[in-house]
Amino acid sequence: MDLRLFDANVFLGRPTNSIHDSCSTPQELLARMDRFPVERALVWHVIQHDCCPVEGNRLLAEEIKGCDRLQGCWTILPPQTGETIGTDFFERMKRDGIVALRAFPSTHRYVLGRTAFGDFLAEITERRIPLLLSTARGISWPEIYRLLEDFPLLTCIICDIGTWGANRYTWPLLEKYPRVYVETSMLSLADGDTEATVGKYGSERLVFGTGFPERYPEAAILQLIHAEISDEDKSNIAWANLERLLGQIQL
Amino acid sequence: MNVEFLKERFYRLGAVPDCPVYDMHGHMGSWYGIHFSRPQPPEMLRVMMRAGVRLLVFCHHWALFAPDIGNQASVKAVRMFPEKLRAYCGINPNYPDIVSRDVATFEEYRDVYVGFKLLADYHHYPITHDRYRPAWEVANEEGLLVLLHTWQGSVYDGPGEVRKAAETYPEARILLGHCCHADWQSAAELAREFPNVYLELCAVLDDRGAVEFLVEKAGSERIVFGTDFPWFNHHYYIGALLGADITDEDRRNILYRNAERLLFGRQINP
Repeated sequence: MDLRLFDANVFLGRPTNSIHDSCSTPQELLARMDRFPVERALVWHVIQHDCCPVEGNRLLAEEIKGCDRLQGCWTILPPQTGETIGTDFFERMKRDGIVALRAFPSTHRYVLGRTAFGDFLAEITERRIPLLLSTARGISWPEIYRLLEDFPLLTCIICDIGTWGANRYTWPLLEKYPRVYVETSMLSLADGDTEATVGKYGSERLVFGTGFPERYPEAAILQLIHAEISDEDKSNIAWANLERLLGQIQL
Repeated sequence: MNVEFLKERFYRLGAVPDCPVYDMHGHMGSWYGIHFSRPQPPEMLRVMMRAGVRLLVFCHHWALFAPDIGNQASVKAVRMFPEKLRAYCGINPNYPDIVSRDVATFEEYRDVYVGFKLLADYHHYPITHDRYRPAWEVANEEGLLVLLHTWQGSVYDGPGEVRKAAETYPEARILLGHCCHADWQSAAELAREFPNVYLELCAVLDDRGAVEFLVEKAGSERIVFGTDFPWFNHHYYIGALLGADITDEDRRNILYRNAERLLFGRQINP
């Protein structure tokens, strides 16, 4: 079957510490996406994590402007400092084509929870704006568990779930929180875990991702093409689930 | 002429008949750190077929972590599915009596074993420690494979220890499992310097760029494919190899040609 692919986990830009063949410009990224092939991507700029969330957010908006195939994620910081979250935050998201958020609490030295973000996290829960959390970048499983205890209806996409199989972490969250989703760039690495997770919780709870440029997109693609699940399940994971989630946001 | 590359063929078919896969680094069975979705032989073999894996060479988790069960778990699986499985005899240096017994009876299991597996980072004895010597000596005498877990900076199985082992046992054919993970430079140098050292790609292919480096510095003729299966998915790892900036000839060397050379004469299909 031909799968249309919408990649939830891609970054643009060159990290502080160099990696193989990263993409500085959206043109470079689109050329790579054609090769994999991936049709659309939900992107963030690595400067948002590595250097300066404010400048990274600005640069991302500038880079993806006018590019239909790329939609953006901004990085959040505690509202009290006024760095990324101001009174017009959601208007600016809408204006700049930003459809989701990312948080890297330990890297950026804050606690992601009710004390720092109470009203804001309640509002993004209400607006159904996805919050992407990467266990490879700045947040641990216990922190994710605590966050969801406080905000059980938060739309949360957990990315980069780790090299070792993570069912013991992800399945309790999928069972308890209806708006938690797992991104597949590392799920696809663990043999049989895509099939087992779909069997227990349904394909609607998985969102395709590649982890490019840190991982080979062809890896997650080949695994999904030949996964032992139905074609409808594959389409849900590859495209439909992320499109549906982004269609539900209220800005 | 329109040539279809391996990438397109694997995308379309899942398994490519003229490009079989030899997985030279596998495991089997349950283990404390991970819930495996399908770690038992019948299911593993069915899954291997879907990716065109012709042979899995493995060491059962229990052979490495449960001395009271030991290698019998591997023996049982290979004898049940001899056309698809071969094993490494797991050596746990914490129990010299078991090492002596397993090496002494190695000959009885020549239909099962292709060599030995050392997991020094977990067993906490350097790979050149005397406690492994009985296994190394047999491997050296008979040119057997020795699959090592190797990792950057490890005092047990880092590049320095591998160098000593490769010098001491020049006839043993040493597979550097994980390629001294993250120290790709040292791994490539060891493969270049020692004709009895080969690189094995488990836990390498989930880092983009490493295999390109290893192919450039050591040559694809010195690299074999491995996945830690059932930890990691064959299609994921094959896909990563297909995405790397190397040639299809390199991929064929890695996926089956080198493994067939290493296993030749080991009666893999009696």
